[in-house]
Amino acid sequence: MFPTSTQRKSWMFSDEKDLTRLREAANRKFIAQHRKNMTDEECAQYFLSAPEESTLIKRYEYHMREFCRRFVPPMPRTVAGTAFHYLKRFYVKNSVMDYHPKEILVTCVYLACKVEEFNVSIEQFVSNIKGDTSKASNIILNNELLLMQQLNYNLTIHNPFRPVEGFIIDLKTRSNLHNPDNLRTGIDEALDQLFLTDACLLYAPSQLALAATLHSARKNKENLDSYVTETLLGPNAEKELSDLIEIVRKIRSLLVKQLETPSNQQIKIIEKKLEACRNQENNPESEIYKRKMQDLLDDEEEFQAKKYAKLLKEQARKETKIIGINRIISPSA
Amino acid sequence: MDDQVCPRCKTTKYRNPSLKLLVNVCGHSLCENCVELLFIKGSGNCPQCNIPLRKTNFRLQLFEDSAVEKDIDIRKRILKDFNKKEEDFSSLDEYNNYLEEVETIIYNLCNNIDVLETNKKIEQYKKENKEFILKNKIKLSKEEAELEELLEEEKEIKLMKQKELKQLEQDEKMKKIQQKEALIDELMFSDTNAKNIIDTFKQSALSDSTKTAESSKAAAAKITKFSSGVKVFQKNQQSFLPVPKVEEGPLYSYKPLEVFYNGPTPPSWADLQRLGYLNNVTEASLEEHASGYTIDLFCMKALQEAFSGLFYVPNKKTE
Repeated sequence: MFPTSTQRKSWMFSDEKDLTRLREAANRKFIAQHRKNMTDEECAQYFLSAPEESTLIKRYEYHMREFCRRFVPPMPRTVAGTAFHYLKRFYVKNSVMDYHPKEILVTCVYLACKVEEFNVSIEQFVSNIKGDTSKASNIILNNELLLMQQLNYNLTIHNPFRPVEGFIIDLKTRSNLHNPDNLRTGIDEALDQLFLTDACLLYAPSQLALAATLHSARKNKENLDSYVTETLLGPNAEKELSDLIEIVRKIRSLLVKQLETPSNQQIKIIEKKLEACRNQENNPESEIYKRKMQDLLDDEEEFQAKKYAKLLKEQARKETKIIGINRIISPSA
Repeated sequence: MDDQVCPRCKTTKYRNPSLKLLVNVCGHSLCENCVELLFIKGSGNCPQCNIPLRKTNFRLQLFEDSAVEKDIDIRKRILKDFNKKEEDFSSLDEYNNYLEEVETIIYNLCNNIDVLETNKKIEQYKKENKEFILKNKIKLSKEEAELEELLEEEKEIKLMKQKELKQLEQDEKMKKIQQKEALIDELMFSDTNAKNIIDTFKQSALSDSTKTAESSKAAAAKITKFSSGVKVFQKNQQSFLPVPKVEEGPLYSYKPLEVFYNGPTPPSWADLQRLGYLNNVTEASLEEHASGYTIDLFCMKALQEAFSGLFYVPNKKTE
């Protein structure tokens, strides 16, 4: 249930300003770590700004939607919904410059497949990706743990799709609406659009579902106001009703507002800038990344060797303690 | 017994571990198989000294030297008749002379010295003391009977004591079990503090055990001397120490799950059917039913998810 979930506890934010604040903080943090001796002006030139980051993420959300739609075998909508949640949550606390969205995107979808029990092997999964599949699978598997860590392992997502089903059943049972199934296409469109906004970080899934349903009803020239005010909430709920109406209004305003789609040129500029300023440690193409991976491997070996040396020392110490003389070291040692 | 050899067939103990040497009155040994072979008819002559022997008189050779066996045999036979006792003589010298005479006879017979003469002597003695021998025989048997009686009595006393001990032990055990049961009953059904109950029971058990110990001491002082009897008493004291110290936590009580909906209350399970919700859900296929799926599960879940969180207000979120 959503009201007792980690989604409510840790991943719901009070409003858009709250989100912008967090994203700006992530942006500032990255710049502070990597600016070295640059002046503020140089920084602005070199690094991406928070709005630029958001634009880029928007673009990648479109990519994600397309990727999920074209996925073979076709995936259930809950997988896509969960993946959207992951992507949004990830970039609330991380900068685009730290982790490139094209890598995080596929990882999000892959993890969502697992969590939503849509069984796809990694080979099957990467066959949906253009380009080098082995490199892609490497990226996904390397980033999967990082993603989970950044999500604070709160992997259960409450999507608005099941509440929609609930509302349709309830409409069929308790309202005089002629054919509630007619609303479905409108609802799906509305939800698709809502996933491109921050709505799922701000409102409860059932609220999104209700708003989508009402939006679709309005489009179909049906009136569900009496259903909501009288049947759904029942009497003695004026306070809740007004709150709910306000929230639905806000959500619908997101739907009515034409989403500004960033122009390709704009995106190209941002991406070029990103290539320059991104954290090379997390770029699988870079020398630094390769060296880091090698270091990790070496570290492991070194760690083993150190451990062994330590053990030997410890043993020698114990022996001298027991026997009272130093261990005779063989000439070869 | 390194070299037991049958003088006739030369079988040794080594070659036939089950070899048994038998002797007869003449004191010459023979193995069991030879005896069977030679004395088929029940009687025959000794292969060494040609003396006529009876098969029934063969017996196991107890001593290594067969001469000793012969001595014992003869002595038994002679003493049957020469059964006078010290009291039958007026002086010690006379008795000693008599013993001397008996020994001489036995010696002569053993070593085949004047056999005929000594046999005559024995016959004569028998004739002269016929009545006396008989009398002494009866006397002897009487004495033996008395001795046997004494042994019998001792045995009986022993048995009695064992029985008593057993009875005592059993009683003790029964008592312990009863006390335990009473304690458990008390613990189960009374409302008073469990510790208090245990304490009172412990004390009563202690006093009980000391009482029984005293009474048993009075009844049979000998019994407490037996180590087993003492042990029973000690065991009694210890057995009540490790009795239930287990502290049981409060019992689990079922509380129905309270779901926080943060929205309008969804219909109950009964409402699903009554209000016709189920008519608006696609029927589950046969395959789906097989796994335990029913449509009301889906219906309820969808409704609950639709209703829960409807009253969620973003600003109210507690950070």
